[in-house]
Amino acid sequence: MKKLFVVLLLVFAVGCSKKYAKAPEEEAVKPAPPAMVETVTPAPEVAEEVTGEQLPVIEEEKITAEELSPEEKAKAVFTDVLFDFDKYDIRPDARPILDAVAAFLNENTELNIIIEGHCDERGTNEYNLALGERRAKSAKNYLVSLGVAPSRIITITYGEEKPLCTQHNEACWQRNRRAHFVVAK
Amino acid sequence: MRKTAVINLICIVLLCLVLSPAQARIYIDITSPAIRKLPLSINTKGPSGAKKIEWTVKSDLEATGMFEFVDPDVPGAEIRADLRVDTSDGLKVILTVTDLIENSEVLKKRLDASSMILRTMAHSVSNDIYNIATGRKGIFRTRISYLVNSSIGRKELRVMDWDGYNSKTVVSRGLISSHSWSGDGRFLFYSSERNRKWKIYIRDLRRPVETVLFSSRGLNLVGGTSPDGLVSFSSSRDGSSEIYTIDIHGKRLKKLTRSFGIDVSPVFSPDGGKIAFVSDRGGTPQIYIMNADGSAVRRLTFEGSYNTSPSWSPADDLIAFVGRKNGKNQIFVVKSDGSDLRQLTFSGNNESPSFSPDGFFIAFDSDRDGGRSIYIMRSDGEGLKRITPGYMKAMSPKWSPYFK
Repeated sequence: MKKLFVVLLLVFAVGCSKKYAKAPEEEAVKPAPPAMVETVTPAPEVAEEVTGEQLPVIEEEKITAEELSPEEKAKAVFTDVLFDFDKYDIRPDARPILDAVAAFLNENTELNIIIEGHCDERGTNEYNLALGERRAKSAKNYLVSLGVAPSRIITITYGEEKPLCTQHNEACWQRNRRAHFVVAK
Repeated sequence: MRKTAVINLICIVLLCLVLSPAQARIYIDITSPAIRKLPLSINTKGPSGAKKIEWTVKSDLEATGMFEFVDPDVPGAEIRADLRVDTSDGLKVILTVTDLIENSEVLKKRLDASSMILRTMAHSVSNDIYNIATGRKGIFRTRISYLVNSSIGRKELRVMDWDGYNSKTVVSRGLISSHSWSGDGRFLFYSSERNRKWKIYIRDLRRPVETVLFSSRGLNLVGGTSPDGLVSFSSSRDGSSEIYTIDIHGKRLKKLTRSFGIDVSPVFSPDGGKIAFVSDRGGTPQIYIMNADGSAVRRLTFEGSYNTSPSWSPADDLIAFVGRKNGKNQIFVVKSDGSDLRQLTFSGNNESPSFSPDGFFIAFDSDRDGGRSIYIMRSDGEGLKRITPGYMKAMSPKWSPYFK
């Protein structure tokens, strides 16, 4: 019983002459707090990455139109439509591009497309997602006004999350403020 | 034999009395406009790991700007905290706080951490010292959720201690954007893009379970949560992005705004009665406030042509937001009536402000050091501290509530 009391007092003992093992490194001491540890699922490999603008295929050696599949032809027609900072209205320089895309879609009625809306890095992330969606929809509305069925066009925004160009200057920002066309698979 | 048992029992009762002293005095009145620094000395005894606890405690309290550390061997302190660290069986700290003016013990507490980690224990010690000194609840055990840009087009959701340590990945799938804590700190709500669909998900932090809260065509971005369990979010399900609320079971969907432009980033006031959000209905993105039922919409910000990312202080009538000034994004605070606008950051681009649950700190991300890192500062802009490593592209911090 006395022992018990002594133990109790020891808890409050000031110093202790006993040699302690060196405190383990922080990382080793950290037992993972419950539940927080696991990720929901292991990150899967992105199988069908639709992003990342293919570098202009147009410059490649000329193949006659007959040899190209509609998807390959699409790549030649699908040029990015660019926007002003914090704007989502279609600029005059975008109209010829959209006219060509509409004409192509009206010729190749078996193809559906995805329009991705993108922004430069300067805005804030959430607002940029909403802005990117507006850009994709502006492009879609324009194509619909030229007779493309709305059901053939899916829009998706990536905001500033998938930049084409990562330098911090206006030339780069302009390339990133874009609506990008991809053939839906 | 019987006698010793009785003596032991008396000792235990006495110890219990010592361990729960009454507290009366407030040493730091944090409501006063000019806070005096409280001279505090910390005296630590124990094995080598003990200094690590002391270091963490000091770093916690230092961040408040309310304490001045005095060497224990030098007179001048008004309060002394004695930490007796014992690692012979698990980890124990006996914390004694002494008022050196009154020469009285104001707190004696034994913290047993056989299963707790060192830093967590240290944060508990900080909470106790802070509570004794200010009469307020410390935030040193709260956490921060944030995003890490793992590669282009991918962002994972992580949670770390308020000081940046102890980081854990919560969700690593897809591209994650806005996120928000439930009121009890148990759940995280977040928007994620997977297979070209933006849905709002819920993750239970106690179990590895993820469920969908809201899904529709278009963009769905979670905003915040209210004390009565509502979640605010923006959705473009009907075409243009509007503000909605829904309960945490995915029921009681309510559409609150109907404007042609972009409405996004809705956050509740601490009482849940109001919602601040971003709208470009006036031509440029500005912050608006409305009642939580969508009525009485008014514009809050008028300076500049780009004001986004509102965060409501849980404690004060203060809204932090990102404003664009001279081509750079800066953190501002303003009262909910639009008065007392103040700029808090001046260097680099600073985004995503989020208040600590006591309203005393603001976490945000910044590129001021070249990369993109998470920083904290006090809500007056002082005491800036980077809490994520420079090599990591970390952003969008959301401060947790107090954990129950």
